[in-house]
Amino acid sequence: MAEPRVDFCDVSKKFRRGELHDSLRDLIPDLARRVFRPGGTGAELGRREFWALRHVSFEVKPGQALGIIGPNGAGKSTILKLLTRILRPTSGWCRVQGRVGALIEIAAGFHPDLTGRENIYLQGAIMGMRAAEINRRFDEIVEFSGIAEFIDTPVKRYSNGMNARLGFSIAAHLDPEVLIIDEVLAVGDFSFQAQAFERIREMVQRAIPVVVVAHQLDRIAQLCTEVILLDRGEVVRRGSAAECISAYVLKPVSEVRADSTEGPFQFRRLTLDSPGPVRSGERLAFTVAGQIAPGGLPREIEGIVITVRSAQTGQAVFTTSNARLGVPLPEEGPFELQVELQCNLAPGIYAIETRLWNRARGAPAQQGPSAYVQVQPGKDFTGLVQMNPTMSVARRATRSALTGS
Amino acid sequence: MSLDVTAAAPALPGRRSALGEFGEIARDLWHYRELLYQLALRDVRIRYKQAVMGFGWAVFMPLLVVLAGCLVRAAMAHVSGTALDRAALAGLAIKGLGWSFFVGALGFAVQSLSGNLNLVSKIYFPREVLPLAVMLAQAFDSAVGAVALTVAFVAFGIGSASGLLWVPVLALTLFVVTAAAALLLSCGNLFFRDVKYIVQVLLTFGIFFTPVLFEPIMLGATGAKLAMLNPLAPVLEGLRLAVVGGHDLLEPLVQVSRHGEAVLVWHPLYLAYSAGLGLVGLAASALLFHRLEYVFAEYV
Repeated sequence: MAEPRVDFCDVSKKFRRGELHDSLRDLIPDLARRVFRPGGTGAELGRREFWALRHVSFEVKPGQALGIIGPNGAGKSTILKLLTRILRPTSGWCRVQGRVGALIEIAAGFHPDLTGRENIYLQGAIMGMRAAEINRRFDEIVEFSGIAEFIDTPVKRYSNGMNARLGFSIAAHLDPEVLIIDEVLAVGDFSFQAQAFERIREMVQRAIPVVVVAHQLDRIAQLCTEVILLDRGEVVRRGSAAECISAYVLKPVSEVRADSTEGPFQFRRLTLDSPGPVRSGERLAFTVAGQIAPGGLPREIEGIVITVRSAQTGQAVFTTSNARLGVPLPEEGPFELQVELQCNLAPGIYAIETRLWNRARGAPAQQGPSAYVQVQPGKDFTGLVQMNPTMSVARRATRSALTGS
Repeated sequence: MSLDVTAAAPALPGRRSALGEFGEIARDLWHYRELLYQLALRDVRIRYKQAVMGFGWAVFMPLLVVLAGCLVRAAMAHVSGTALDRAALAGLAIKGLGWSFFVGALGFAVQSLSGNLNLVSKIYFPREVLPLAVMLAQAFDSAVGAVALTVAFVAFGIGSASGLLWVPVLALTLFVVTAAAALLLSCGNLFFRDVKYIVQVLLTFGIFFTPVLFEPIMLGATGAKLAMLNPLAPVLEGLRLAVVGGHDLLEPLVQVSRHGEAVLVWHPLYLAYSAGLGLVGLAASALLFHRLEYVFAEYV
């Protein structure tokens, strides 16, 4: 087996809570200590300090893709910052060999007054590319981003989505030897997300070691060969994607908020009626809350599409919508859509996704909140689907009884 | 962003010599020279995009300094009853150019880290490139100003061609002194956000403590020596004496003031002092900057 490209060995990282320093009296001695004793091993916790990471170890070899999951504040981003040399560990050591492609804040270096073309060179340089390299791949970058006609427009006139497209496109053409990904799978519109994800999957297939942090568990499940579950800075579990995702979802996130706050339609939240696992064959109830702006929805919006997707395989196992069921949404104002599903599913982790569907384009218009449920083995059946079995037993007269009469 | 084993070694705690760190700084900067260039290019582009003045910016600030200087000198000339000559004006212009480089570079460099927090806290690159790129952009401006000044000097028949040979040495010294201050203060502004205000105040009043509008000889023998303690003074005076006066800076120069006092207005050690102080300061602030670099993301 090849040498690990990413080595993370017994790393701990200490942070301070609250205001970092009250006064010069605190700061000066602290800075002096850092300057004159860099990398001090201080294993003890000072006043108001806490461990952001505690004895975390892992390694990633070529061909492996490591996913890091866990709730907010578990230390995921800290790991990425240590890997990209932005932070130094308090103790332990970490090492990354080869050219690192970090898909983190992919548009952070953009300057709004510069054109897309100028920003490609700037952002490329920030990511460590040479001008000659950017020249060579310039056309590919522009083509992949799909915004060729706006390439000489200042970036301040771009939409958020265009920004993200261009940023991802630059990062995707870095030709990294190690790839580090932070939540960028959630940028851009639906089709670009798919395109971006495909690109990353391609890199994994080319045996580039990958470390990925994401809240989209289904993406993790599709991409990663190994997953670690973090909680409060410690590795709670490591193993296959399905295993760790199950462990994570067992403490379910019962309410996930959507982040879009504009447009004629706003998703508010998705609430599971009873958080916790559901048995195969039982009913699963949840509520999607949203708001329709005065003036109503555009005609081409069909309604809310609900998709149940297997977190392990990423396959959509079931899709329905309020329109298909003939349940119209109100003309305007806040509303709650109550949904009940018969969980005739194989045991596993499923994502419930919500989208606003554009009938005219035949594509999602907006992503809504999602939630994860774990389906446990049920009483009625085992297998992939519930086939609604009916069985009956009829008593038949036996031959002996016939002849014996 | 290739991090081979050696480049990643600092992740292991302790055991680094100062010399090794300078090597590390130099290697990182060399590796990211493209970024340095792109960031400087960005600053230059932005200054000339959607701007009223365009390239006028490059001469605007030095021109203001010259005008202010003319006023001050005219007042002095009036009091003392002497005429304001062309050489004095030329001296003002060239020192004004040097001074506005220092003010502009430092003023922008102080905010270069805190103004790019999204980059500093998210993406790795040697953070030194941020203040250095600002200085390069400012150097570009000053170069444009220098071209304008050269044209004017030639047109008016002022200055000495041999003195021009000293310009690269003096410009480099000015750059080193400015870089030392820029690295220290940009880093300081990340920890204390009022550093930039302090710097603005100091830069505003600094012109009175630097021989820009006046010449050290006007302060008398002792005053001239004290004025030269300011590390910028030998650079600016050197520029004036070499380019306008045609003085060979390797030779000391004694002039007689209006009161008949012999004043040492130039000594080669002045320049050596300035360059030495600049280099030591640059080494110290680069080391401090480099060691604090890893703390930046935690403190922002």
